[in-house]
Amino acid sequence: MTYQANQTLPYRVELYRQLKRKRTAFAYGFVLSLPILVAIAVKFGPSGNSGGPTRLGSGTTDLIGLATLGAANFTTTMLYFSTPFLLVTVIALFNGDTVASEASWSTLRYLLASPVPRTRLLLQKIKVSLTLSLIAVLLVPLSAWIVGAIAFGFKPLQTPLGATFDNATALSRIGIMTGYLAISLLFVAGLAFYLSVRTDAPLGAVGVAVGTSILLNILDAITALGVVREWLPVHYAFSWFDALSITIDWSQMIRGASYCAMAGILFYALAIMKFAKKDVTS
Amino acid sequence: MKLRALVLALTVTALLPIHSVAAEVTSKSQQTAPGIFIDTSIYLPKKTPAPAILLAHGFGGSKDSVVTEAQAFQKRGYVVMTWTARGFGKSTGQISMNSLSAEIADVQQLISTLGKRKDVLQDRTGDPVVGIAGGSYGGAAALLTASQDKRIDAVVADITWNDLSQALFPQSSSDLAEAGPFKKIWTGTFFALATLQSAYLGECGALTNEWCSAYKSAVMNGQPSAAERKLLRSVSPVSFLSSIKAPTLLSQGQADSLFPLNESSQTAAVLKKNGVPLSMIWHAAGHDGGADEKKYLQEQYSRWFDKHLLKQEIDFPLFQFTKTNGSISLQDSTAIPKSFTATRLPFEAEMKKLPLLAQPAAMSYPVGGIPSAISSLPGIGSAGSLAATVASSFAGFSPAFVPGQSGFLDSAVLQEPISVTGSSRIKVRVTSTTGEATLFFSLVTKSPSGAVSQPNGIVAPIRLTNIPAEGRDITVTLPAVILDAAIGDTVAIGISSTDQGYELPKSPAFYSVTAQSPLEYPVISAVPAAGTSANWLWPILALLTLFGAIVLVYIRRPRPSAQERDEDFLVQVENLSKTYKDGYRAVDGLSFTVSRGQVVGLLGPNGAGKTTTLRMLMGLIFPTEGSIYMDGKAVYPGSPALANLGSFVEGPGFLPHLTGRENLDLYWKSIGRTSDKYLDEVISITKLGTALDKKVRSYSQGMRQRLAIAQAMLGMPDLLVLDEPTNGLDPQQIAEMRQVLKDYAKTGRTVIVSSHLLAEVQQTCSHVVLMHRGKLIAFGPMKKILTKNRQARSLEEIFLELIGDDLVIGKELS
Repeated sequence: MTYQANQTLPYRVELYRQLKRKRTAFAYGFVLSLPILVAIAVKFGPSGNSGGPTRLGSGTTDLIGLATLGAANFTTTMLYFSTPFLLVTVIALFNGDTVASEASWSTLRYLLASPVPRTRLLLQKIKVSLTLSLIAVLLVPLSAWIVGAIAFGFKPLQTPLGATFDNATALSRIGIMTGYLAISLLFVAGLAFYLSVRTDAPLGAVGVAVGTSILLNILDAITALGVVREWLPVHYAFSWFDALSITIDWSQMIRGASYCAMAGILFYALAIMKFAKKDVTS
Repeated sequence: MKLRALVLALTVTALLPIHSVAAEVTSKSQQTAPGIFIDTSIYLPKKTPAPAILLAHGFGGSKDSVVTEAQAFQKRGYVVMTWTARGFGKSTGQISMNSLSAEIADVQQLISTLGKRKDVLQDRTGDPVVGIAGGSYGGAAALLTASQDKRIDAVVADITWNDLSQALFPQSSSDLAEAGPFKKIWTGTFFALATLQSAYLGECGALTNEWCSAYKSAVMNGQPSAAERKLLRSVSPVSFLSSIKAPTLLSQGQADSLFPLNESSQTAAVLKKNGVPLSMIWHAAGHDGGADEKKYLQEQYSRWFDKHLLKQEIDFPLFQFTKTNGSISLQDSTAIPKSFTATRLPFEAEMKKLPLLAQPAAMSYPVGGIPSAISSLPGIGSAGSLAATVASSFAGFSPAFVPGQSGFLDSAVLQEPISVTGSSRIKVRVTSTTGEATLFFSLVTKSPSGAVSQPNGIVAPIRLTNIPAEGRDITVTLPAVILDAAIGDTVAIGISSTDQGYELPKSPAFYSVTAQSPLEYPVISAVPAAGTSANWLWPILALLTLFGAIVLVYIRRPRPSAQERDEDFLVQVENLSKTYKDGYRAVDGLSFTVSRGQVVGLLGPNGAGKTTTLRMLMGLIFPTEGSIYMDGKAVYPGSPALANLGSFVEGPGFLPHLTGRENLDLYWKSIGRTSDKYLDEVISITKLGTALDKKVRSYSQGMRQRLAIAQAMLGMPDLLVLDEPTNGLDPQQIAEMRQVLKDYAKTGRTVIVSSHLLAEVQQTCSHVVLMHRGKLIAFGPMKKILTKNRQARSLEEIFLELIGDDLVIGKELS
């Protein structure tokens, strides 16, 4: 027999299958359009060029007000803009749609019967979804840096906390922030993937994952909940702010990253266990 | 479902009533001197004996003003004693502004009371383990008591004065010996608080005559006499600092025009020199309101007492300060106070120089000082509790710079941002047309659009006399501030000739101020205070979770039966049953075998269990009972035995955005086979032709069906399973399909085809499995079934004969 289970659904094949999809291009398009749209709005918008340096927002020392100083500040602000919703949605899409869409196309049963072992199928899917997600997260600072450099030039990164970093330090800080952001999104990724395994409706999985994230954000905004909020994974979404101070305070980032990674891992494990015993009827 | 339960659980937990303190509070009136009765309260913690904390209240308040703080300390395990100072609330006596022989002597009596209590830890007999804390008036009481009584073991003093004469007649230059301008509005507020609630006692209320007449004289003259300055000094910590030995935490607010940050700097400098264990906090609250930092401050104060009364190992930063310009709350756009820690105090900071432009500031002074600039209006902060954050809607940046009455000494536009932490200095030359000048200096930032921001509206007043015609040089100590200026901003020294809060000259004048030195500003390297210290337990926990998840997934993996059967039959179905979750038994005790080279028809009406059987054969769903063997090996999800099977069940499944060829190619690459895929043969059998290079999205039903069958045939598997392959095909296509199957079987391979069209199958199959309601009805070679009852008939007739009239789907079997 020429069948080898560890040759089924190779990473490259699954990556190609997903990359050929329009939704992938659309998702990346959204991510890429953010810095471009903001830069255009600032440069050519109604309030542009009204004397003095063009500013975004009304503050002068907050993150948004500092956005137009240069590439580094612009990048940091774009990270801030994309953290709460844009990246959450894109990552939920990549992870929530991957299995459910196979089910809705009926391709899932042919892959399983061919046979691609169930755990292998999910592991390959997870690898590819995480790759796509990581690309989306990396696209934010990369595109923002390039757009920022073109629109506003290279200037030292000035933080709302009063610190200033040269471009080399700024890049390493942006690296830390992006890395943290990527890990902290594991919670949404894991949740979406779990839902994807549980349903045959791709949009349902994505929607519930995004909805849960929104709900948890609302709960996190209710200060009356006190310490309960510290147990919500979304509580740490903006902890990468701490990388903006001269000496980095790692405590929140360590807790947030660990916590979100843990939640993500649990959801992925749950997904694999559920799927291993599921009757595939789609 | 589980998720919803989780969210619900979280919400319910949050709504549970917060565990309340076992409030054991006893009130008592204690006589401390003849005719003086002090109203006290004792808060006992759960566990005694415990160290004690004396908690003083602010001016105009009473012991009830500090209940929240008292309860917090009580909950932390301290015996807390609060009291109402002389002349306030239910305590008798007159107010003498923390006089050592009056108010402070009262506190010493209270310490003795604590020294007799069994529930208070004692250093030695009559000497309790006791700390003292207070804000504003209470803060001064704390410092003064600590200087008079060696039994005090730790001090926390918030928003209080170092030198009351400097606070009420501020002179912001060490070059000048005479008193500064009278801070009349704040002082008047104090006087009102002391007299109004006891106005029935006369114009001085509960205030002693000495203090009452001193106030009246200050208002009348605008200047203190030598005796009055001596009186103010007699209740100022500055006079007694050398006697303080207990560890002291000084806390001061940025939003405080009454006792600005410099007051705490002055106290700290002396205590530091004397070697007293010391820490300082510059928070964002104060007598003018500011940010709400109660929670943070309460925690810091508790930690201070934990360190020095409970002798806990606590790393307490030398200097902490709050910035309110760091980040904005995403919820309500208010500033989020962020704390920083530093290992130097502001007066030890490195002084950096910022050159100022040469233009002098020139301004007029209107007669009588009308109109006046309003830098800040005193908040009604006098009832100040420990953290004293009584909001004043007036505090802030009102018209602090009236045109014509103010000017600026500007820096160049900043090319790099600067942060100022503490008091800046500048040498200026002042000229005046009257030979006298009262000026109000502040450090401000100007944004590129010209907006001036004056941190918390705090000004540094200067009152000069005897100015020669060519002007007088003085070094001005600017208000201590926490200020960040960005690239593009300008830093400036704002100078105003008027300020409504102060006593001003009568005669009109014209002033000019020229910078004689660069601005010297203090810079401290600070780090954000860790909210919680970095805990490496978390990543370890995350790694454990990963490890645990892998183990769990491995343990919980389905373990398929390793049973084998002999390889005589290609497929063996043994006693197969499937009951769905809703209780529907789709397949019931089904057994049959398929040999190589057969074309087997799996026949039965809709709902007979055909598709369910095929799904189990493909490893998509789990049998409730029984098992399936292929080539003698058990079939289960992912079983290698399935590699010999090509399938088409319940319609085609393709990626709609790819072409037919890409779909076949990707499918083949996905299934882990290395043998030849026989693509050309498959395409010719299914007659796909050029349609193969169009997107599947554009296919007709028949084309999809054929592509799906081509996919099932890829690699020419030993067993081809087709579920209703003729569904949706026209008669000609059905005939073609029939031929496809026959051709496939001719190669020695096996085909299982299911259908509900019995007549159709009759022409194709060599063997038949007849099903009804999940049960096997007949099984065998087509010819044998057809010749049952010795008479060749149609399959349909035989089927109907076998099942009778039981054709209604879902009908209960009796």
